[in-house]
Amino acid sequence: MLEALGTKVFSGIVSLSLLLFSSFKGNDPHFGAISVRRSESFIYVSGSLQSAFENDFPSIFSSGTKIPIYFRIHISQDGKTLSKQRFSHTVSFDTVTGIYELDRGKTNELFRSDSIEDLIREVSKFNFAFPHQAHWEHLNIRIEAELPKVRFEQLNKQVDLMVLWKYKKPSTKAVANLRQLQ
Amino acid sequence: MHKFGLRSTIIFLFLFVSIGGLMVLNMAFQAKQEDIHGAIERMELSDELRSIKFLSAEDSLKAQTVMREYDSAQAVLSISLGDSRVVTSVVLLLVMIASSAIFIVVIILISKPLKELKQATEQIRQGNYSAHLPETGIAEMRELKNSFNVMSHELEQTQNRLLVAEKELIWKDLSRILAHEIKNPLTPIQLVIQRLEERLEYDPQKVSDILPESISIISQEIENLRLLAQDFSNYAKVSQPTRELFNPAQIIREIVKSYSQDYEICLDLQDTFTINFDRTHFYQILTNILQNAIDASSEAKPITIRLYGERSYVVLSIQDMGDGIESKNLSRIFEPYFSQKSKGTGLGLALVKKLCDANGAIIRVKSKIGEGSEFTLIIESKTT
Repeated sequence: MLEALGTKVFSGIVSLSLLLFSSFKGNDPHFGAISVRRSESFIYVSGSLQSAFENDFPSIFSSGTKIPIYFRIHISQDGKTLSKQRFSHTVSFDTVTGIYELDRGKTNELFRSDSIEDLIREVSKFNFAFPHQAHWEHLNIRIEAELPKVRFEQLNKQVDLMVLWKYKKPSTKAVANLRQLQ
Repeated sequence: MHKFGLRSTIIFLFLFVSIGGLMVLNMAFQAKQEDIHGAIERMELSDELRSIKFLSAEDSLKAQTVMREYDSAQAVLSISLGDSRVVTSVVLLLVMIASSAIFIVVIILISKPLKELKQATEQIRQGNYSAHLPETGIAEMRELKNSFNVMSHELEQTQNRLLVAEKELIWKDLSRILAHEIKNPLTPIQLVIQRLEERLEYDPQKVSDILPESISIISQEIENLRLLAQDFSNYAKVSQPTRELFNPAQIIREIVKSYSQDYEICLDLQDTFTINFDRTHFYQILTNILQNAIDASSEAKPITIRLYGERSYVVLSIQDMGDGIESKNLSRIFEPYFSQKSKGTGLGLALVKKLCDANGAIIRVKSKIGEGSEFTLIIESKTT
């Protein structure tokens, strides 16, 4: 709770100071519309991050170092936590072939392309599924994205990628009424 | 804050924030520049590339490593540049917030006690010398408040001493006047009684010859004593005015009627005015001033009463052609127990002043020795 508040205050200070004193563009990530579907035993959530990987990310993704992007999902009902999950998208780049590879983590789904634009489009999309219980009815789904600190082995240098998002973790909320979902 | 003065504290805080902020900014810049410099050094490919002959698989691996290092350095460079921009702008914002906070705190520390001081000074101005300020706040303000408290305490003590001295003086004056005024009628009464006693002793048959005259003298002096008591009573009991609208010219004519048989009183009255005044008080004011004018004038010299308007005021002027009042006494004639007449308590004009104040009127006096005096009463005019 305090950590979340601290993060919000800090990201607010960063945004204000950049607005006043800097020409640094960075990225202003936010979630687009979230889609929620259900099947017999699973709930599927999909959506995309927008304006998250435009500035500076092409050179980061092209560095050859693996760049993970984390998504956190928190599902609750009437204030009670039902499920917490974390998954990641990891981007890597082969400097010899010039091919980008996107590993969508849990789904073990791989995407390969030599186009940075295609990679950015794909890395921004996410979808995940989780099994639902019989008593789940009215779900509050909260999704948050985060960038980690990454070590560039060649330079033996660790950098916090959150600076490219101006230390602001994008998040969104969706409400799902399972009775109405098909 | 206890050892340093306000000025030193402000200078210290200003230097601390500005120089400290610049130092932090510089340190952040230096650190980031080192990162950037390191990244740029890694981007120097030419020497390493020249050493690769591209003849073996090992050479290909070397080339791949060089390219990876280049790409990594580019990424680190990009992030470091962004990071340095974020850090510098955050430091600048924090310096700005800290400077503003210090400015606001200093303003509050100065303005709040000044406001308290202003209110306390206002209390002193209104005569409340017991005003006391809590000696809190910054050192300079505590000293200022302490000086103020000492000053107000001394003023209060001085005021108390003055009040005691004034009361004592008033009682002395009052006792002197009362003794004198009571002794005056008592002396003739005593003489009459002595005369009656002598007659009873030496010629009792002829007591009746002097009895009517003796009774008349005693009655007259008792009447004088009663008037004296009434004067004091009137002065002590000035009631709250019950104001009503009336035409002052009419009242003046009625009052003057009883005097005009014995004295020459000239009237120049405009009938168009209405005043909002206590009718009894108006009567008391006019009779007192008129009696003084009569006492000051000889029978041949007329007294002039004029009533006229000036702007939104009604002016009543009573002018005699008597001996006049010495200029040194003009400022004292409305003081209680001050009198130039051989007979009188000195309460008449003091009562007039008191009644004028109670009704919101202003009284002024002009006088010249040998030419006479003029009392002017200024009353707000009311339209009917």
